[in-house]
Amino acid sequence: MSSDGARGISRFAMEILVATATAALGVAVCYGATEAGAGWTEMGPDAGYFPFYIGLLIVFGSVMNILLAVTRQRKLGGVFIDGRRIKSVASFLLPLVAYAAVSSFLGLYVGTALYIAFAMHFQGRYKWWIAVPSGLAVAAFFFLVFEMGFKVPLLKGPVEAWFGIY
Amino acid sequence: MGNIGLLFEGFGHILTFQHVLLMMVGVTLGILVGVLPGLGAPNGVSLLLPLTFSMEPISGIILLSCMYWGALFGGSTTSILFNIPGEPSSVATTFDGYPMAKAGQASRALTLAFVSAGIGALAGVVMITLVSGWVANFALRFSSPEYFAVYFLAFASFISMGSSAPFKTLVSMMLGFALASVGMDTISGNLRLTFDIPELIKGISFLIAVMGLFGIGELLLTTEEGLRFEGIKARVRISEVGRTVLELPRYWFTVVRSIFIGILMGITPAGPTAASFMSYGLASRSARDKSNFGKGDPRGIVAPETADHSAGTSALLPMLALGVPGSATAAVMMGGLMIWGLTPGPMLFVERPDFVWGLIASMYLGNIVAVILVIATVPLYASILRVPFTIIGPVIVAVIFSGAYQVSNSLTDVWLVVLFGLLGYIFKKLDYPLAPLVLAMVLGDKAEDAFRQSMLLSSGKLSIFWSNGLVSTLMAIGCLLLLAPALMWVMGVSRKRLTRPDLRQDPNENPL
Repeated sequence: MSSDGARGISRFAMEILVATATAALGVAVCYGATEAGAGWTEMGPDAGYFPFYIGLLIVFGSVMNILLAVTRQRKLGGVFIDGRRIKSVASFLLPLVAYAAVSSFLGLYVGTALYIAFAMHFQGRYKWWIAVPSGLAVAAFFFLVFEMGFKVPLLKGPVEAWFGIY
Repeated sequence: MGNIGLLFEGFGHILTFQHVLLMMVGVTLGILVGVLPGLGAPNGVSLLLPLTFSMEPISGIILLSCMYWGALFGGSTTSILFNIPGEPSSVATTFDGYPMAKAGQASRALTLAFVSAGIGALAGVVMITLVSGWVANFALRFSSPEYFAVYFLAFASFISMGSSAPFKTLVSMMLGFALASVGMDTISGNLRLTFDIPELIKGISFLIAVMGLFGIGELLLTTEEGLRFEGIKARVRISEVGRTVLELPRYWFTVVRSIFIGILMGITPAGPTAASFMSYGLASRSARDKSNFGKGDPRGIVAPETADHSAGTSALLPMLALGVPGSATAAVMMGGLMIWGLTPGPMLFVERPDFVWGLIASMYLGNIVAVILVIATVPLYASILRVPFTIIGPVIVAVIFSGAYQVSNSLTDVWLVVLFGLLGYIFKKLDYPLAPLVLAMVLGDKAEDAFRQSMLLSSGKLSIFWSNGLVSTLMAIGCLLLLAPALMWVMGVSRKRLTRPDLRQDPNENPL
């Protein structure tokens, strides 16, 4: 329980961090609600009336969670995540974020092809002549299903425009 | 019986080639999302929902509900063949299903699971057929205070019955309510909680939350564990299917008891997961010969599977008749109904009987289609799981991103999915339950409207929630449920004080 010092986040720290974050969110909700009017108008309860109490309840629950975490700190002992696992989660999460970022510029089809190819090549250690066609195939399949089949288009970018696909 | 007549009319509506085809598509996609890690029923239904916007509501709901049945079956498949539950509700199936499959009886285990699941589901539908009209009629008497009391009851029971800490359930649920109220206020038309961010004006869709929380969050958990699939080669032989079906009547008592548990848990928000665990627990504890449980006892497969599926179908009863969904997936489907312009609840039975009874009829047919399809296609799905996660994972991400974009053609939603994914991952690891958040997001506006309309009726006095017998009873049960964890805690503390005055820990929140 204590020999996990080898780079990692303890469960206790994470409990406190998350409860503090939800408490902050609760305060933000209360603030937003008072801005919208948390009182009473001649038309009845104002727009922020209900959310204000929701915010209060979030704060209350979060404070209780912090108290419970502190009183049961010994029982909570243990790691939330260790260094090795952080690495494997990050290796999945970061390309995913990059995928979202690239898609804002190049559209979702190109983003998808790049992301699948990248993930297969670097995470799955596939040769690029397998990874790149796979990425293109998935993007093409999406195009067929969404654009042609269900007629719900995805975001397109400059590359499609260059090929004359709108 | 009026209900039976209406049911036959319902069959009349749905028995077309197109609808049966939709059922098969729905079930197939459902099994697929049930089998794949990181994609479950709530999420699969969310991903499919935008594609049904242009369909007839009845076709849309057939597709979505059949996907739900398929996902329930898919979850059991991976439990048995890979010891990996595809759905939380099929965890209990791994206890005996995997050992039996490992002992060379994979076909027997799968057939037992599928057929008893089918029986459970059909029992749930029969219950819905018989009871729904009555419940809806009863609910016609409800006005806003009663509605708010029903919502209150549903949420209170989540807090008291939730398996993890009650305050975590509270925070998760209230976050859902807060997220639901972002954007335009439905009554006054004012903006609220947008914090001057233009992207928030249209609000945050519950679909985005589900895709992130259940989809991306689950994938992150899977990568962290570095999943390796060690599957059992499965081929279902017809002769063995037949022999196993003949074996089933021996477990009739287990089946009946599991159906009962399933229906009870399905109608209340406890849901399929609680039902399958409870049913397994009862079966293993009450069995005369316990030695085989955990090593491949057939009753250990029949009990959780029957309860899981009867709870899964029963969860649609409160959604249809009261407008209060009994599970996360039912909540997503209810959101779908509202998007199609239908209002779930008693009025739906009056205004659109064709839709309601069409749906109920499709539940009979859909489950039968699902049992046949799943038995026929098991080897195919088993082979999908042999594809390495480094390919499947990114493809699932791509599907989720595309689905998120399609909800309202907005890239902001894609980023929100990433955020919700992180939140889901952290919440899951810290035992914050996710289902209450989704339920609150779907019901948020309706609960708030009911509350505010009641306040209007009573000009601001809370006493309206105690103004007649019906609403008082509902509120009283809700309050009791809310207080239950606190009472247990007080009792636990006082008992501990008697024995060890220095120890002050609450015993009702052990699972950490």
